[in-house]
Amino acid sequence: MRLLTQWRGAMPGVFNALIAFAAVSATALAQTPPATVPPAPAAAVPAQAPAAPAPTTPAAPSPVPSSEGVFTGWIDFGYRWRSDVAGSLDTYRSLVNLGSGPKLIGTEFTLTDPKHRLFDQIHVRAYDWGDDPYSTLHIDARKAKLYNLNVDYRDIAYFDDLPSYADPQLAGGGIALNQQSFDMRRRFANAELTFLPGNWISPYFAYDRDSGGGTGVSEFVSNVDEFPVPAQFHDRTSDYRGGVRMEFRRFHVTLEQGGTKFEDDETLFQSGGVNYGNTLAPIFGQTLDLTGYLGAYGARGTSIYSRALMTASATSWLDLYGQFLYSQPKTTVNYQQYDGGNLYLQSQVLFYSSQQYLVSSAAQMPHTTGNLGAEIRPRHRIRITESWTTDRLHNAGSSAENQTLTGGQTAEQQTAALLESTLVTNYNQAEALVYFEATSNLTLRGGYRYVWGDANDAVLPAEGLASVENVKLRQNVGIGGFTYRPASKLSFSAEGESASSGGAFFRTSLYDYQKVRAQARYHTGPISFSADFNLLNNQDPQPGVNYDYLSHQESLSVMWSPAGGKAFDLQGSYTRSDLRSDINYLQPSTEDSLLSNYRDNSHIATALFHINPPHKGPMAPVIMAGGSLVISSGSRPTTYFQPMAKLSLPAGKHLTWFAEWRYYGYNEAFYLYEAFRAHIVTVGLRVTR
Amino acid sequence: MRALFPAWLILAAVPLSGQEAPAALPAPTPTPSPYAGSAACSACHEDIFNAFQKSPHAQVDTDQHRGFAGRVCESCHGPAQKHTESASAADIHQPAKMAVAAADKICMGCHLNTPTQVGRLQNSHAKNQVSCVSCHKIHADGPMGLVPRGNAAINTECESCHLNVWAQFQKPNHHKVPENAMSCVDCHNPHGSIRPAMQQSFAANEPGCLNCHGDKRGPFAFEHEPVRFEGCITCHEPHGSTNPRMLTRHEVRFVCLECHANLPGNNSIGRVVGVVPPAFHNLNLPVYQNCTVCHQKVHGSHIDRNLLK
Repeated sequence: MRLLTQWRGAMPGVFNALIAFAAVSATALAQTPPATVPPAPAAAVPAQAPAAPAPTTPAAPSPVPSSEGVFTGWIDFGYRWRSDVAGSLDTYRSLVNLGSGPKLIGTEFTLTDPKHRLFDQIHVRAYDWGDDPYSTLHIDARKAKLYNLNVDYRDIAYFDDLPSYADPQLAGGGIALNQQSFDMRRRFANAELTFLPGNWISPYFAYDRDSGGGTGVSEFVSNVDEFPVPAQFHDRTSDYRGGVRMEFRRFHVTLEQGGTKFEDDETLFQSGGVNYGNTLAPIFGQTLDLTGYLGAYGARGTSIYSRALMTASATSWLDLYGQFLYSQPKTTVNYQQYDGGNLYLQSQVLFYSSQQYLVSSAAQMPHTTGNLGAEIRPRHRIRITESWTTDRLHNAGSSAENQTLTGGQTAEQQTAALLESTLVTNYNQAEALVYFEATSNLTLRGGYRYVWGDANDAVLPAEGLASVENVKLRQNVGIGGFTYRPASKLSFSAEGESASSGGAFFRTSLYDYQKVRAQARYHTGPISFSADFNLLNNQDPQPGVNYDYLSHQESLSVMWSPAGGKAFDLQGSYTRSDLRSDINYLQPSTEDSLLSNYRDNSHIATALFHINPPHKGPMAPVIMAGGSLVISSGSRPTTYFQPMAKLSLPAGKHLTWFAEWRYYGYNEAFYLYEAFRAHIVTVGLRVTR
Repeated sequence: MRALFPAWLILAAVPLSGQEAPAALPAPTPTPSPYAGSAACSACHEDIFNAFQKSPHAQVDTDQHRGFAGRVCESCHGPAQKHTESASAADIHQPAKMAVAAADKICMGCHLNTPTQVGRLQNSHAKNQVSCVSCHKIHADGPMGLVPRGNAAINTECESCHLNVWAQFQKPNHHKVPENAMSCVDCHNPHGSIRPAMQQSFAANEPGCLNCHGDKRGPFAFEHEPVRFEGCITCHEPHGSTNPRMLTRHEVRFVCLECHANLPGNNSIGRVVGVVPPAFHNLNLPVYQNCTVCHQKVHGSHIDRNLLK
């Protein structure tokens, strides 16, 4: 509600208009539906179609007690202690980031208004509040046939300082070159209000907001040297949308119109001091340095978008589906840069002492997507689905830049440039599938998918890395699968695709590939088993590419809950995964042929054991233990352990005391300096009502 | 009908043989309704019925325009009059034990024409005969009980089938799904979507990743093609990875060099995208082993054609 209040404060006109529209809609749409409604289509559920008028027998009075608790739910709160982190605190913060302090661990509660005045019920869920790295709040409020209101808020910390991802020489005590790190928070809020839920015509409005802000380290790059500098980040996207859902017996249409507003301000700076950067070796006898720097991005964007969705039960044997989606985001950016020091322009063999660099750019990207499909049931056991999708994205951008160099060897040198860019992609896909119910337990399916498209990218005038590129996509995919349920407790399913391509966008794109997924499940009484197999084999044999990729995962899970888990239950899973990728590339400076070979062989297990020890009286303690482990070998050998244990002791009818221990242990064989270990203990109370 | 034929003859003969013709023909016996009504169901299935009263589906019992007023149970289980007389399970539909297509047809009888189902043809759950009731608990208590609500409950539901995906989330670099700060449906639409892997979308037809990563949205004056053509998964493993920042390779340079390989592959139609790095990129030097030191704006740049700033 606070969000709504803020929104209302920020957008009084819009808010009042929405209220007015809602009132009008409610008045207009509150009419009683027609007294007689055609029965459901007989073919949809032949055995159940109402063959007679509605029975005259009045519905029995509900046996549900009429009075309910106004407030029901629970709340967990307590205190968390984190041990000193042994090893890399930066890695711990990048991966776990839990800290000490008092915490609202979680709460879920329901408010019920027995008199159904402003609401019928309000449900609230909130987790991990109290300076935790991820806090969530969700509110559902509803009043039958009048409104549904859903509000969601999340606050997620984003800390990232893992130098190894980009500096392989660090393992040998090399140079710390990863100067892209962040200490930010991202906050997401969204609220959606639907009027007249369950009615034939239902308008809705929504507001979403995504914002991020914080500090970090980034780079000022000056030809032959890189200077790490502090950075401040702030971005915000607001999304407003509204629409109407029209749901009738034989068809449905949803129309939605929305718009977004985007701001992104990023500032890199250095004030005072001398920054020598990464290159300490003199160039032509001079040492490069940076004494002052300011780089400021100011990006502003807007977007409008439209959605039209449709489904229809055209006949008893034909269902139709369709979507039309359109968006047109636009961005304008002003960039200002000033840097001073002893700097070097390699292309002109020129030293300079200050630079002013101004850029104005703009881009817009109309994007159209359409989809049409049908499900046809020509026979009792046969279904045919066909669909066609097109996605067309055209981006046009321009940039005007002005650079002024002063000092050093030249009094002043000014250059200006105007660049135009285009990026176009047209993607199309058509798919036809046939489903055949061979028996009541066995369903077979097979079909074909054709994917085609083209793309081109150009920056003019051509210069440097970027050039004009054109590429086409052609892919023929055969599809097959089955589902077999020999008994209600046992099922097998498998699906596969095999593709042959005549063109792909990238060297690592899917080209000639096979995908397989198979699953078996068995569930009986206290025990259930599940097994899963996935495979992707992708080959691109084109000369100059020679891409060879194979990955597969085998998983097994078991859940054992004898006597409904009264004494104990156990669940566990194990996954073995292998990934192998080989592709050639040339060393740009020497054109030596090199091989990028990536391997990831992982063993991953999870387990959770839950026991109710023997006890006297109604206060039953509960013990839980489990956790997960990852042991990975290959290109980045890694181990990651997360065991946990929890003890809950009832302390009263509505009160439970609990204590939880968790351990985080992380190690990398090649990057020992990024390892860490930490213990976390949480003690708290659960109050239930 | 053969058995009925003599009976009709007998009935026809009665007026002819009678001494006194009746004043009027007797009213035809009304065809008994095959429906028993909700009250009849509640008599035996009280627990289920009581819980069901708090379900969103309960409104079908009172909603005139759904066509099942007063017989909500029979909207899914079919006419129950015979079942109430015989008490035999064979005389009632049990969707949980029906073939998936038949069970889903019952749900689609009411739910097909809703925005939720617009991506049904692309729904891999439907393709794989995963029925609606696999995730939705039709009799569950409470208005929020029809489907798991809350991140933890949703993730548990998905995890039970997608074992390999859940395993990936145990890797050290992952989206905060195991921590329940996110749920699977934040990124995927379990009812189907025209985007690959049933991804959610943002602002009509943009990738769902941009719901949270709005700063990567653009449009940029200088785009990085993979972001637009194949999306974030070209370089990132969104479910989890042992590599920092969920990259697909252990060091960022290999992510870049596998496309910017200096070996543009020619095929019969066009060549693959990926410009060639100039020769001054000496990969033996540490600075050129970290592409993102200089090429900072790898998601797209407003300023620089080479994605430097």
